[in-house]
Amino acid sequence: MDSLIPFTTSGSLVDCVDRKMLVVLRDGRKLQGVLRSYDQFANLVLEDTVERIYHQDVFAEAWRGLFLIRGENVVLLGEIDLDQEDEVPLRQVEWTVLEPYHKQDVANKKKREDVKSQVLYEQKGFCKEGGEGDGY
Amino acid sequence: MLPLSLLNAAQNKPMLVELKNGETFNGHLVNCDNFMNITLREVYQTSAEGDRFWKLKECYIRGSTIKYLRVPDTLLDAVKEEQNRAREAGRSARGSHVSGTGARGRGAPPRGTPVVQSREVYI
Repeated sequence: MDSLIPFTTSGSLVDCVDRKMLVVLRDGRKLQGVLRSYDQFANLVLEDTVERIYHQDVFAEAWRGLFLIRGENVVLLGEIDLDQEDEVPLRQVEWTVLEPYHKQDVANKKKREDVKSQVLYEQKGFCKEGGEGDGY
Repeated sequence: MLPLSLLNAAQNKPMLVELKNGETFNGHLVNCDNFMNITLREVYQTSAEGDRFWKLKECYIRGSTIKYLRVPDTLLDAVKEEQNRAREAGRSARGSHVSGTGARGRGAPPRGTPVVQSREVYI
């Protein structure tokens, strides 16, 4: 139940240090690793990082090692519940097997987002700038 | 230790830098600054699609273009080891010094210790 208690200090990552965290980057990558340190820009040091890709009810992992992530590229940071992390309702397969499917998903998503932003621009006057390179 | 201190400690080590546009640079870190601007030597640059390659003797990368850096996993342990050794050396040097006016309060961390310390929290 500890994970339901909000942080006592607003905007502080100190409670996340030395814990296994999920990091989602702006390019859509999902990394899991132990947060070792951070700074005022929320640059992160992530140890024993694993990158995971998903497709329907299947996932694959690739070990990446030690990361220094520039803070502005992080979308979210979430604590992983070590008790529940193995209860994944998905089947695990080899990275090389799943990668083409994942790449296809990414390409499809980008196309949908491009169409969406074009429609919003044409019909509702939304500006198309600001989401360059985002894949999340 | 702070992320940028880890970067400073990675001088002369091999690393992979991925830029926001997806290009990757594999090389040895020459130098870095507080903006995360870095210079690398013996660099292998790869395009975002992974289809084109360049070899550069040296390159400069502006910090604001970096997405992330991947460094050897042994680096964190090596730096911790060095920090401990430095602290032991400092402690023994200070211990031999008679602490009169220099006495600090009970349990106060030595000056210069970064505020964020993994594994050791001074309460």
